[in-house]
Amino acid sequence: MLEIRFHGRGGQGAVVASELLAQAVFFDGKVAQSFPFFGVERRGAPVTAFTRIDDHPIELRSFIEHPDVVVVLDPGLLRDTPVTGGLKPGGLLLVNSPQAPGAFSLPQGGTLATVDATRIAVGRKVGTATMPVVNTAMLGALARVTGAFTEASLERAIVAFVPSHPEENRAAARDGAESVRMEPVAPSSRPSPPSEEAAPLPFPEGPVASLPSNILHTSSWRTLRPVIDRDRCTRCNFCWEFCPDDAFDFDAEGFPVVKLLYCKGCGICATECPPDAIQMVTEA
Amino acid sequence: MGFKVLSGNGAQAEAARLARVQVIAAYPITPQTTIVEALADMVASGELKAQYVKVESEHSALQVCLSAAALGARTYSATSSQGLLLMHELLHWASGQRTPMVLGVVNRAVAPPWNIGADHADTMSQRDTGWIQFYPESNQEVLDTVLTAYRLVEDPEIRLPAMVTEDAFYLSHTFEPVDVPDPKVVDTFLPPKDARAILRPGVVSRLGSFTGPDHYVDFRHQVAEAMDRVLPKLQEVESEYARRSGRDLGGPLVGYRTEDADAVLLTLGTISTTARGVVDELRSSGQKVGMAKLRVFRPFPVEAVRALARDVSRLGVLDRSFTFGSSGPAASEVRSALYGVPSPPSVTSFLAGIGGRDVGPKDLHRVFQALLSSRSTGPRWMDLETDGGVVVHG
Repeated sequence: MLEIRFHGRGGQGAVVASELLAQAVFFDGKVAQSFPFFGVERRGAPVTAFTRIDDHPIELRSFIEHPDVVVVLDPGLLRDTPVTGGLKPGGLLLVNSPQAPGAFSLPQGGTLATVDATRIAVGRKVGTATMPVVNTAMLGALARVTGAFTEASLERAIVAFVPSHPEENRAAARDGAESVRMEPVAPSSRPSPPSEEAAPLPFPEGPVASLPSNILHTSSWRTLRPVIDRDRCTRCNFCWEFCPDDAFDFDAEGFPVVKLLYCKGCGICATECPPDAIQMVTEA
Repeated sequence: MGFKVLSGNGAQAEAARLARVQVIAAYPITPQTTIVEALADMVASGELKAQYVKVESEHSALQVCLSAAALGARTYSATSSQGLLLMHELLHWASGQRTPMVLGVVNRAVAPPWNIGADHADTMSQRDTGWIQFYPESNQEVLDTVLTAYRLVEDPEIRLPAMVTEDAFYLSHTFEPVDVPDPKVVDTFLPPKDARAILRPGVVSRLGSFTGPDHYVDFRHQVAEAMDRVLPKLQEVESEYARRSGRDLGGPLVGYRTEDADAVLLTLGTISTTARGVVDELRSSGQKVGMAKLRVFRPFPVEAVRALARDVSRLGVLDRSFTFGSSGPAASEVRSALYGVPSPPSVTSFLAGIGGRDVGPKDLHRVFQALLSSRSTGPRWMDLETDGGVVVHG
């Protein structure tokens, strides 16, 4: 059995990717079990998805703690999520990144692979320039580096099941397969004996409810930030009223100020602002 | 038709389509939403000839289905968690009016705190509403159970509502191959609903109106009697389904390697799949353990539980919800079923998977070790014994 774990953010297509992967594996004549897990349903929130591939029915329905392959759709997740937690020694880490594989580390040894899926998605107009949907480019790269499913089956699944722009997505998958780079990595130190509890896992095992935003770091979900043009702002307070996260304060003159600790970058304020005084700007 | 890759929610929608439901009314709620989205697409494309009624709440959704069913239509709705709780009043109406209907429920935790993970508290809170309850473990079983449920509830001797549940995400959003029966096979198994409607336009009749203490008890007793006929009827319905589809659903309690077992664990829903794998591992290391999947919680399969318990000294019951002030709901039913039988096994109540907490093989190994080694009957909250990750106080 091959076990794959995906890490992405709401809106990047991790959920659709897990469905497409199950379809592609099925077209190859194998059994797949593919499911996403999200703690909250918000654009930008971390999403984990799991896929098992086998030749016979799968007698297991639980999270994948020790994957053979980890796929990271958003390199920003590497900052605060231990995405390689539990990755088997000799396993494969595939990251959406313009950098060479050598820019990343894999202390336990295995294979590093990178593909610039964001550039591919923008180029193929999959999603929008500010919110590219990288899933199909990543799946193309995954097919090429693992060989766990055929690129032909992946393209067949994309054409059959991607609801909008299937041809662009198919092209993105091909680009992903053609441009993925991989490098074997030797273990950086003597491998420690495998321990059940050793590696922290990149999904919540325990209670995470009732935590305020400054502990949960929900602002890390943000890919766009609102910027207010004070010359246009009429101080109407619509941004404050519509913000679902109470992320606005006012300065001494009554102009709105964004509390970036709480802002998740949803853009509702920019949509609702009567004088169009708010622009959503890509986070560096 | 053959195999298709479907999510559990896709299997619910596919089953409703194959059952040729005539009226659908639903209100979207995570993680049920993709069921009703799929059905809305089928109706919009003309693939399914049904009335899709948009409503402003789950309460209204069930009322629309109740009214349509009273007029003879085959209906479908689906909900989850808070939505099911809002339906509660009308759940009683459905059984009290002897309305045959099928409701898909994605089992999700009940707030507070807000949580969208798998948990059985939503449906267990409805156990006394007179609904038949099924807890499938795979998307195939979801599809097969919805189809057999229609046949069961529309039987003139039953005429009760049924809910077919799915664990949130572990089924609802999990894609896996499902053998979708040929529509012709389903049409033979499940012919159009017997249109002996309770209400008919132009005929003066009453439904659910005032009844004093003189006759109210007769209505309640009739519901109880109908519920008593469910399990024998289910056996007939499942046998016929097996003949036509080639798949045997196995009745209300499906045992696995229970022969000569010293300890047997009862499970509901998706934990059953993982438990079966763990039983195989333990058996291969010489430990005599087995498991049994409780597919039907209402009516409770008392005789099947007694038969299972006859040669077992330790029974564990793993619930994915808790009855405050008591134990796991299935555990208390098992204890009640075994009251008075000669030399009954010990019954230990385990809680695991609450609020979507993952239950993997290592968790079930701990459950079996506790069952084999301890005389404590619980309730034992297994989730609290693992490393809690982020610890919250206050």
